[in-house]
Amino acid sequence: MARFIFRSVISTIVTMFLVSLALFLLVEVGSGDITVKILGVFATPEQRASYRAQLGLDQPWYIRYLDWLVGNDWRVRSRIGHPLVAVPNPQTKELEWWAQVDGQLVRWEMREGHLFALVRQPDGSVLEQPADDQWQQTPEGKEIFWGVNTKNSAVKWVRGEGEEVYVLTSAGMRKEGDGPQQYIPLRKGLLRGDPGTSLQTGRPVSVTLFPRVRNTAILAGMAFVVVMPLALILGIIAGINEGRLVDRAISVSSLALTATPEFVTGVFLILIFGIWLKIVPAVSVFLSDRAIFENPQLLILPILTLTAVELGYIVRMTRASMVEVMNAPYIRTAILKGLPYWQVVLRHAVRNALMAPITVIMLHVNWLVGGIVVVEAVFGFPGLGSYIFDSAIFGDFNAIEAAAMLLVSIAVFTRLVGDLLYTFLNPRIRYS
Amino acid sequence: MTTAPQTIGSRARPNPLAKLWGSLSLVFESRIGTIGFFMVAFWFALALISIVWTPYDPNASLFGQNLPPNAENWLGTDHLGRDLLSRLMQGTQVILVKTRLPNGWVIPIGVALWGVLGSLTLGTLLGLNAGYRGGWTDQIIMQIQDALIAFPRIVLYLVVIAAMGQGDLVVILAITLTGAPGVARLARSLALDIKTRDYIRAAETRGESPWYIMFVEILPNARGPLIVDAMLRVGYAIFAIGTLGFLGIGLPPPDPDWGNMVNEARRFIYTNPLAVLWPSLAIATLVIGLNLFADGLREETTRYQK
Amino acid sequence: MPQSPVLAIEDLAITYRIRGGEIDAVTDVSFQIQRGESFGVVGESGCGKSTVAWSVVGFLGANGYVKRGSIQFLGQELVGRRPDELRKLRGNQIAMVYQDPMQALNPSVRLGQQLKEVLTVHQKVSDQEAEERCLAMLKRVHMPDPADVMGRYPHQISGGQQQRVVIAMALLNNPALLIMDEPTTALDVTVEAAVLDLIDELRQEFNTAIMYISHNLGVVARVCNRVGVMYAGEMVEVAPVEAIFQDPRHPYTQGLIRCVPRLGADKASSVLYPIPGRVPPPDQRPTGCLFHPRCDYAQARCQEERPFLRLFAEDHRVRCHFAEEIDMASWQPPEEVQAAIQAHAGAPNGAQGSPSSPGEEIILEVEGLRKYYVAQGNSLRDVLGLAPKRFVRAVDGVGFQVPRRTTLGIVGESGCGKSTLVKTLIGLEGATDGRAEFLGFDLTVDLSKRPERLIQELQMVFQNPDSTMNPSYTVGQQIARPLIRFQTVPREQVQDEVIRLLEAVRLDASYLDRLPRQLSGGEKQRVGIARALASRPDLVLCDEPVSALDVSVQAAVLNLLLAIQKEHGTTMLFIAHDLSVVRFFSDHVAVMYLGQVMEFGPADAIYAPPYHPYTEALLSAVPIPDPGARQRRIRLEGSVPSALDPPSGCRFHTRCPRRHLLPDNGAICAAEVPPWRDVGDGHRIFCHLSLETLRSLEPVIQR
Repeated sequence: MARFIFRSVISTIVTMFLVSLALFLLVEVGSGDITVKILGVFATPEQRASYRAQLGLDQPWYIRYLDWLVGNDWRVRSRIGHPLVAVPNPQTKELEWWAQVDGQLVRWEMREGHLFALVRQPDGSVLEQPADDQWQQTPEGKEIFWGVNTKNSAVKWVRGEGEEVYVLTSAGMRKEGDGPQQYIPLRKGLLRGDPGTSLQTGRPVSVTLFPRVRNTAILAGMAFVVVMPLALILGIIAGINEGRLVDRAISVSSLALTATPEFVTGVFLILIFGIWLKIVPAVSVFLSDRAIFENPQLLILPILTLTAVELGYIVRMTRASMVEVMNAPYIRTAILKGLPYWQVVLRHAVRNALMAPITVIMLHVNWLVGGIVVVEAVFGFPGLGSYIFDSAIFGDFNAIEAAAMLLVSIAVFTRLVGDLLYTFLNPRIRYS
Repeated sequence: MTTAPQTIGSRARPNPLAKLWGSLSLVFESRIGTIGFFMVAFWFALALISIVWTPYDPNASLFGQNLPPNAENWLGTDHLGRDLLSRLMQGTQVILVKTRLPNGWVIPIGVALWGVLGSLTLGTLLGLNAGYRGGWTDQIIMQIQDALIAFPRIVLYLVVIAAMGQGDLVVILAITLTGAPGVARLARSLALDIKTRDYIRAAETRGESPWYIMFVEILPNARGPLIVDAMLRVGYAIFAIGTLGFLGIGLPPPDPDWGNMVNEARRFIYTNPLAVLWPSLAIATLVIGLNLFADGLREETTRYQK
Repeated sequence: MPQSPVLAIEDLAITYRIRGGEIDAVTDVSFQIQRGESFGVVGESGCGKSTVAWSVVGFLGANGYVKRGSIQFLGQELVGRRPDELRKLRGNQIAMVYQDPMQALNPSVRLGQQLKEVLTVHQKVSDQEAEERCLAMLKRVHMPDPADVMGRYPHQISGGQQQRVVIAMALLNNPALLIMDEPTTALDVTVEAAVLDLIDELRQEFNTAIMYISHNLGVVARVCNRVGVMYAGEMVEVAPVEAIFQDPRHPYTQGLIRCVPRLGADKASSVLYPIPGRVPPPDQRPTGCLFHPRCDYAQARCQEERPFLRLFAEDHRVRCHFAEEIDMASWQPPEEVQAAIQAHAGAPNGAQGSPSSPGEEIILEVEGLRKYYVAQGNSLRDVLGLAPKRFVRAVDGVGFQVPRRTTLGIVGESGCGKSTLVKTLIGLEGATDGRAEFLGFDLTVDLSKRPERLIQELQMVFQNPDSTMNPSYTVGQQIARPLIRFQTVPREQVQDEVIRLLEAVRLDASYLDRLPRQLSGGEKQRVGIARALASRPDLVLCDEPVSALDVSVQAAVLNLLLAIQKEHGTTMLFIAHDLSVVRFFSDHVAVMYLGQVMEFGPADAIYAPPYHPYTEALLSAVPIPDPGARQRRIRLEGSVPSALDPPSGCRFHTRCPRRHLLPDNGAICAAEVPPWRDVGDGHRIFCHLSLETLRSLEPVIQR
């Protein structure tokens, strides 16, 4: 048993690593020029290049992968010479990167060839100090400075060689002088809970992600609570009545349910319950992230849709397993002992029959995720699914990666739980 | 040791056509298999007919908008006044009978089938190696496969399409990648089972190479379950194509896409619910048909295996 | 006044509905079982034995039903009873034990609970009382440490113990009728002997009626007092066990008895006579007497008129028109059989020469061969690789020599390492240590490192006819493959060579295009032999080639192997668990126990004293198809120790029944590795006991 669990855990970790690598490569290396999406098609090549440098996209992929996974403050720290910390801004509550110099939080800025240090005060305001004395000589005789800028990047300024950079503002690209020569956007890395900044909104991904995850968790969780007992019971009923009318009815309807795509089910549920019967609102308008708490009715149709899709699959799995178990010799033994039928089913069949589907059901969480994306698209539900869909359409890779890794970890984790549950249910593994 | 009928008697060596007919007639032994076969055959026939003839140009707005079924438009028209029957028929083509290459060429066999063929090839290759060779090969292949399975399909679709843009080949690639791990898992378990048989020992003790054993000795005996599984996978693929179409990132125009038809028509569901119904029915019946066909095939093949 | 029988079956016919028709599995069966009687039902597979058993407990599945006849249990009619009435009888008054105990027990429920519910469902007993009664019953079936077993799961105890649990379960309610369907078929011979002893003991003690189904005549001879022989869905002969074995009157019964080798018979002095043909499947049964196509005595009347089961003598019924005329003693084999058998029997050219006789070329020489597997531990320390590596010593220092044109038989129970030994020799596994040489080639490396020539000279015949052939290819294709691969013959002659090989295994060209599923078990095994012969090997390893076959087919395949050996001068290694078969077939025998050879010598020498105590125990356990034979009863305690941590000194010392013959109850056995005692004539015994002591042992079997 120790071996089994150990292997599962190791395999899970390796899986997560492989997935993160594949995802990163696919999304960042495989996707086209993100600046087209952000800057539009009319931006000049210089503007694009400058913007890409600001995003840190001029780095090789493996560096970016490491930055994304484990962060880069520890790497950049040696260049700046001070510890780097991310602290929340007292006003906006968003994290800001600061260097810790002699117990003070400092950032820098270069204006008109001069370097200024911005020292944060306890109240959140900033005190500006000239900092030209901090330039450092290089062997080639240049004066350079590595510091943290106001855009949360570690940057390299070179005295007298201020780059022309294009800064994205709400009004479009603005050209500025005195720009740094190199950017390293600071991040803590996914493993330390920082998925980076959304390219679409410019805000940290984690801020937007949280309510979305919460909404989806409620939706999926409720669907799961409805589906599981129902599906298992229906599957068992069908399984013990193999070939009879009940079995046929359950099998055929579950087949029909699995064969109908989520979007079709969703649309027809709207038609039936919203338009013809008028039981629930036909048009779900989720005005805010908290809409589902204010108006729980909105959840009914999405949950029903998810249920319909998931139900059929699990029923079929359970039924097949039950049929197999009911034909096993030990069930024959139980019947020949003279046990009443219901005792044979409950004591001898059900436990063995549930063993096989449980791992498969846990694997099936991946399907559930697919269903959620569609259901959220159909109902305009503000959850993780629609978030990932929007991000993918935009090409917001930080957002996709964060959301996808979250989904993958859920999938992998549930599979681990399924494996452990299986171990627990199956004495042959438990006592080996 | 209860009775099992055995058919004994010599038969002449079957030719491939007779063999095909043999396996097909096996399906007709089962009632649900027969139903499934005809459901699938119906859509194939429609796809083939639509190549040479559709009632009207599927992309031309020739009629009134959102018409109910009538003598001219048997299934009615959509919000742009296009004939729904023609669109439905044309939509079958890309799924089942043709694939459009980026250079404008068209090759036979539809996107769903190519995708499944791809995952079948890739999955079988990986699964047989993992199952037969075992050891490190198995560990590595299984690990990769675990990673692929952990990837939520829809995310994979989204990411692949976001990365490579829309297109028939991209959809085929996405289907191949998402299907391969499942096929590999099945092929591996079959190989694990079959490799314990004595005829594999016999081949090994004649010094056959691992490739010979995998593809000549094991594969033909794993064929049945793999084909049944592939049938189901074609169903999933059609399902996925529909979903992608609905989300607006599926097969590109000009050919109508069933999923996309549902998406467009649902905005007019108050006035014309039938426009949503037809493509929905099309997807559902095709998938159900494939499921039933696979069930029938499985039932009959296992019955004769005993 | 005669008691009413426990079970009385009259004219029973059972039918299964299948798609497009019905299958008459059982057409005409009648017999009675009295209280305290043990009734054996024998016959080959496909004769409907089990179906009769299932019908008694009313468990014919969804598609089976009793078409005709009656089943009376203690005077009550069972046919047509309501399911819940039957349910009350099952497990209570009628109990059943069947073949595979591992399958029969629920893997995820503790044994204690599985036992207790037999009591609680039929009687009002408290849990406490049920527990006590189960414990008592487990003790009664000689289960070691019963309290512990109650808390265990099925996979945690051995096969023999599982079968004891199943038997205990069946006896808990003291049933009037106990049905046993091949209860010992899956067990090793020494375990089987212990279980059979138990069954016999319980029958006498509980006075239960037993219906005992088996294909093994030896087992039936041991435990039954009356026997019914079934053929193709009919009862063909019912008689007391002595009459069945000494004066059988149905040609099928006679054939069955003729085709199994007697323990002690060898190929030089005796012949096996297979029954021609095979049991017809239910839809192809002939008219008239069902047995007539295979019968040596068949006459015109047999083809037309169906015989009835008629009274031949007191308590002896036969279904044969000519029962009075056919006498087993005066039977003459038909000419063609005679001729075929003459070809190998009584071989004049010293094939049975002793191994040490000079001039014999030693073709295979094995010395100190070892095959260890690394054991997978399951504790965390093992997983992390911190614990020291442990080895399963599957084969641990085996040595022997095989002269050309002879057969070496290897016997031993499961886990003794005989299969691993063969796998190592054939090259499926590389050896861990030791020497093995064949025609100058090194056999310790695995197949990937062996030269083509060696691979060609060393071939194998497998156990299971159902998996020996690839179901996807025709017979012709499968035999042709080695011919093409080794280029035994030029391409254009392959077809002719395949036909020649088919003829060598007594098949013909009409088999070329058949697929394996169109062949019977015996035919598949023949094709397997033909395939092994295709590369013209010098040494053929036979891994239990006949153990999965019905007895009548078994004889034919054994005869075939003998003929081939004679014709081609092939050397063979023959593995089997059946001592009679090994004795019959081999020139030399090696007895293995826990990875080591315990005794080696000429076949006849092994079966008479002096012998190793383990050999003695094996011989004592063999079921002999002769109710008159007397066997001394020597039973082994416990089960085979783990090969992970084999006993010190002599591996057999933990279970040896002869240990007490040595001073200090055999202290030396645990302390020191025994010496090889040389009896002479190549006969060696691996034992601390002196030869004099071993010689003085009484023979196990007396006739």
